[in-house]
Amino acid sequence: MRFWQYLLSLGVIAMVTGIFFALRGVLDTTLIALLYLIPLGLITAFWGLGPGITSALIVFLTFNYFFIQPYYTLTVHRPTDVVVLVVFLIVAVVISQLVARAQAGLAAATAREREATQLYELSTALTGLHDNHAIAQIIARQIHSVSQSEYVEFDISEPQPLVFHVPETYQPTRAPELIVPIQAARGVLGEIRLWRASPAITSSEKRLLQTFASQGALALERAWLAQAESRARVLEESDQLKSAILSSVSHELRTPLSTIKAAASSLRSGEVNWDSPARMDLITAIDDEADHLNMLVGNLLDMSRIESGALKPKRDWNILSEIVGSVLVRMKYSMEEHKLEIDVPESLPLVPVDYVQLEQVFTNLLSNSLKYAPANTVVRIHARVEGEMIHVKVSNQGPQVPPGDLQRIFDKFYRITAADRVTGTGLGLSICKGIIEAHGGRIWAENVSDGFVFNFTLPLTWDGSRAPQIPMDTENE
Amino acid sequence: MSNAPHILVVDDELQIQRALRTILSEKGFKVTTASNGEEGLTLAATQEPDLVILDLGLPDTDGVEICARLREWTQCPIIVLSVRDSERDKVAALDQGADDYLTKPFGIEELLARVRVALRHAAGGKGGQSKLVKAGPLTIDLAWHIIRRGGEEIKLTGTEYKLLAYLASNHGRVLTHQSILTHVWGPADADHTEYLRVYMRQLRKKLEEDPERPAYILTEPGIGYRFIADE
Repeated sequence: MRFWQYLLSLGVIAMVTGIFFALRGVLDTTLIALLYLIPLGLITAFWGLGPGITSALIVFLTFNYFFIQPYYTLTVHRPTDVVVLVVFLIVAVVISQLVARAQAGLAAATAREREATQLYELSTALTGLHDNHAIAQIIARQIHSVSQSEYVEFDISEPQPLVFHVPETYQPTRAPELIVPIQAARGVLGEIRLWRASPAITSSEKRLLQTFASQGALALERAWLAQAESRARVLEESDQLKSAILSSVSHELRTPLSTIKAAASSLRSGEVNWDSPARMDLITAIDDEADHLNMLVGNLLDMSRIESGALKPKRDWNILSEIVGSVLVRMKYSMEEHKLEIDVPESLPLVPVDYVQLEQVFTNLLSNSLKYAPANTVVRIHARVEGEMIHVKVSNQGPQVPPGDLQRIFDKFYRITAADRVTGTGLGLSICKGIIEAHGGRIWAENVSDGFVFNFTLPLTWDGSRAPQIPMDTENE
Repeated sequence: MSNAPHILVVDDELQIQRALRTILSEKGFKVTTASNGEEGLTLAATQEPDLVILDLGLPDTDGVEICARLREWTQCPIIVLSVRDSERDKVAALDQGADDYLTKPFGIEELLARVRVALRHAAGGKGGQSKLVKAGPLTIDLAWHIIRRGGEEIKLTGTEYKLLAYLASNHGRVLTHQSILTHVWGPADADHTEYLRVYMRQLRKKLEEDPERPAYILTEPGIGYRFIADE
């Protein structure tokens, strides 16, 4: 490299000298000396101080040899020519040095700019990263490409041990050439190890790597803080949920318990005659309220299962009208005050659902409708196929829900009316939502001209295929 | 009272033991209680009860396993008790030979009905079983393969008849999907619950007054089916 620079400088001087030699008759000696300064400056600018000074000395000799009389000797006769030569040498050397210094300053500035760019790129890449693995990956890759090293290892010991290395296939056998600790406010989080035998790592490179390490420390610290914050938020939310559950549950559980306690203690006290009708009423109340309590506990369990993601539908190909039918059989006593219209055609295809969970959905939607709709109004269940989905509507002629609340009624513990007017856990609809969504369907509510409708959809396909064909008997026996 | 049926209650909840002992004794049964699986197995072996009421959630042994171990040497009816949402356990216990199940909390009429059915089937297993099953307007003659509603004969296909005959001859008992499928279609089709769904709908259309709200062929959600006949 160096050698070629000297050779090229020589070539340039030879060429320029050739041109000047051709024009020797026209050009003045001092003008030639002046013109020689141009290639000299350029040589220093392009190839550095060494070639510049060397060229200056060579030009000093060629100038003397070719252009100062007597020609083709290194002797000088005229005193003015001596002055020209000396001035030329001084000017050439000074220019070379100045150009070289400017050049070096420029190189340093470029290097600094490159470093700044690399740091900028690194910090941009690290912005918004909250995952230690991604941070390690980015820093290790950046260091590897910036330092041109054989192997880089990014080793985090806090909070979870994690090592990332580039390239992934290579394993060094010797000790690393450089180890930079990752120092954060919480202490040393780990270290960056770098393998590069040659060229040796310079102090400016070391400084850059230390800057990289502190960027890494900052990013890790930021990730840790963000995680801590989200943990705190989750805790706070679950705390809010817990207190909501507690207040709702203690209210809801106490109501049936009070009834049971009052009925049982009055039966026990002997105040109630054995054959009075009041006795039967009290016993019925105990029985009913025990069922109610059981339902509350069941709802709470379902909800916690939905919350923890443990609610997995056990799908089978089912007949929707059979599910609706068994709900109607079980709920027949609570439906005596309403007119029921069922429009769930038998011709509907089999649906891939969890029988027990779908029963729960119908039970909750129906009991919600029955609770709010006035007596002697119509409650309707309607189901149709729409494309690849089945669309079910459970409608009632009860009061409408404010449009802003249509979404929120599926939230936990959400009630439109005051809690004491209508009993329940405030969980029924959110359980429906959990179940329908676990089945890959959608549930929503809407107001219609004469009341209120719950809608839900369920996919008709299971793992991409529709209901299988059932082998049927061909004739009656 | 020496002829009173002997019931062994295996449940770790003392309150439930006490309640069941009181109620069942009141109804004329002889009652023994055990608080864990091992004790239950020992008592079952030494006292040879006529019926076992077994809680599936015992502290020491899995209730399903106790079912299986009892079935190694005795055919005495087993009624399992469990909480809601453990359909898998109930089905496992039934497939391991339990005769019926009840979900806690349960009404005592329900328990007594299950006990009566189980004892009757156990007795039927020893003597000859009734070949004529009546359920409301339905008469099912298992000997002559004739089904009547009111006075009118109802035509069934071969599979429908096999299905109804299996349900009716086990009337009052719960039959798991798997047991029905194995019995009617064969072991290879034991997982095709959709066959059951479709055939049950056909049977209900032919037999029930309101097929959408069946009174005789009842669905046991997540478990199977139960045929309800006149007592």
